[in-house]
Amino acid sequence: MKMGKINNIMSELSVNHLLGIKYLTKQDIQLIFETADHFKEVINRPIKKVPSLRDITIANLFFENSTRTKLSFELAEKRLSADVINFSASQSSVKKGETLIDTVNNILSMKVDMVVMRHPNPGAGIFLSKHINASIINAGDGAHEHPTQALLDSYSIREKLGTVKGKNVVIVGDVLHSRVALSNIFALQLQGAKVMVCGPKTLIPKYIDKLGIKVETNLRKALEWCDVANMLRVQNERMDISYFPSTREYAQQFGVTKELLNSLDKEITIMHPGPINRGVEITSDVADSDQAIILDQVENGVAIRMAVIYLLASKIK
Amino acid sequence: MNVLIKSATILDSKSDFHNQTQDILIEKGIITNISKRISNPNNYKEIKLDNLHVSQGWFDSSVSFGEPGYEERETIVNGLKTAGKSGYTSVALNANTNPVLDTNADIAFVKSKAQNHAVSLYPIGALTKNSDSKDLAELFDMTNAGAVAFGDYKKSISNPNLMKIALQYASTFNGLVCSFPQDNNIAGHGVMNEGITSTTVGLKGIPAISEELQVARDLFILEYTEGRLHIPTISTAKSVALIREAKKKKLDITCSVAIHNLFFNDEALTDFDTNFKVSPPLRTNDDIEALIDGLKDGTIDMVTSDHNPLDIELKKVEFDYAKNGTIGLESAFGALNSILSTKTVIKLLTKGKERFGIDNNTISIGNKANITLFNPDVSYTFTKNDVVSKSRNSIFENQTLKGKAYGIIANKKIIL
Repeated sequence: MKMGKINNIMSELSVNHLLGIKYLTKQDIQLIFETADHFKEVINRPIKKVPSLRDITIANLFFENSTRTKLSFELAEKRLSADVINFSASQSSVKKGETLIDTVNNILSMKVDMVVMRHPNPGAGIFLSKHINASIINAGDGAHEHPTQALLDSYSIREKLGTVKGKNVVIVGDVLHSRVALSNIFALQLQGAKVMVCGPKTLIPKYIDKLGIKVETNLRKALEWCDVANMLRVQNERMDISYFPSTREYAQQFGVTKELLNSLDKEITIMHPGPINRGVEITSDVADSDQAIILDQVENGVAIRMAVIYLLASKIK
Repeated sequence: MNVLIKSATILDSKSDFHNQTQDILIEKGIITNISKRISNPNNYKEIKLDNLHVSQGWFDSSVSFGEPGYEERETIVNGLKTAGKSGYTSVALNANTNPVLDTNADIAFVKSKAQNHAVSLYPIGALTKNSDSKDLAELFDMTNAGAVAFGDYKKSISNPNLMKIALQYASTFNGLVCSFPQDNNIAGHGVMNEGITSTTVGLKGIPAISEELQVARDLFILEYTEGRLHIPTISTAKSVALIREAKKKKLDITCSVAIHNLFFNDEALTDFDTNFKVSPPLRTNDDIEALIDGLKDGTIDMVTSDHNPLDIELKKVEFDYAKNGTIGLESAFGALNSILSTKTVIKLLTKGKERFGIDNNTISIGNKANITLFNPDVSYTFTKNDVVSKSRNSIFENQTLKGKAYGIIANKKIIL
């Protein structure tokens, strides 16, 4: 496999899989960001493609619905010239018959080198990594981790504010059901940022303060404290009961409006992993304002995923 | 069966030979002589083992063998062999079967499978028909067939009125009701203890309060009904405190703790290893401390392996889908003896019998031989080679344990 010139200036990742941020080192994140810088330049060229991974085949296994993450991965893979196969299955159809290991081994028998997997169960990627022989990228496992999202979030903060270190970042909303929150907390702490979570008590895990983060239930106070607010989507589909009476009431307490932002004595950066429920987590005028870097996050997502795939592929013997 | 046990250290506080190293002669299943040196003119089988200790036969108040219905997990015959090899002379069998043991005939069936075995099997009948928490099963009829207690294994009784009726009804014939301590509304879809570990691994938590609410509720109902209640496998500090208070009030309450809940905390789940998925879940170090205090002051009456063989298909899956449970008979003594003194361990392993109406036989001349043989000092790494069960889902795999059972002599038979 051709490594290209960027291999000269970098070492390699400490891991063979990307299962979660908590398995990475600070140096790993640094390496991914520097590699992503290169790929971000690539995808802004007229010819947005490099031939680096022509001999690599990647399977995207999505055991849970996804649109944007799947598109982003597929685009990243194609821009690295990897061969790509896609497999989507609802949770129930797999549950009925074949085990996860059998499903994946069947696909690997067709000579696949790398697996990108989204799965509803926490730890599914870790479980798989113990039983199969391929490099695995976790594209979201239940409420556990979504490492590429956290990487692209930090990368976007770095791009906007120059550095992540020392910044105050608040994660607002449904932390309880969120893999994005957990991966972000790990990634931000690793890079020296301070983290706060803000939301109704019912959507904040009871013991989360033990991770060394602040917990706040008043959105205004949270916004006054932070440099960046990462607004999470309310994941109604993951809730077995109602954790708050209505989205109207949720928006009253935890929705960011332009008025609220204007009333702060500083300009904070607004992020959102998408898809946005306009008028719930943030109003349209906030989402479309200059303070929001939501679409930059999407663009950076492709560069970050290219970097991760490229770096892991370079470790495949 | 005639056998001569050579130089065994007797650990039996009720025996005149407690803490003494003696020869023990057993003829036709009866202890006929205990003294320093017994000759063997009749050429009986001699048992001479390294660092041999003997005690009254051990009892486990919560084991599952699968049969009928889950024979792929374990059969009664191999389950009893496992128990014997692990030092147990009697086990209480959960209604963790398919169909559940909820009639006289079901109890008779499992009893018949265990006939003529060295290990005695004492079935726990289901408390409700089909264990579906609606109507009481025929408890009196099952008692007549040999059931020693009634419980729906790990299914808790959500309806307090049903628990009230169960305790009242069973008390008319002195029946013992077992109530699994978990409020399912609060436990929800939880798969491990709620705490910092569940937060970092993203697994849904089962809060300690889900157990404590159920324990508190059952104790209130017990006080009202004046029945007989056994709470199997408590796991939290507050459960210990609640039961301690209930005992002060002289309520007719006993409880047990699973050995793995004393040995591991919830940090064991960091790697999503499904062998650590058990119910009740592994809790925190504070809970473990409180449980051990509860054992020492008598609040907790007995320990159990909570032995639950599960075949690999039920464990080698994503964590959320894996079934709760671990085998535990084989590792029980070694694990317990690693964290408590041998004297305490023997007390705990023999103490529960009375509650379930099972005879205690002290090691004295003239008594029936119901004896466990063991070495309390051997240290070893527990591996799959130590497993006798058909299933190998052991939470203790690769742990260093201290102490190993050699086997048993009971019901005129020897398992070594």
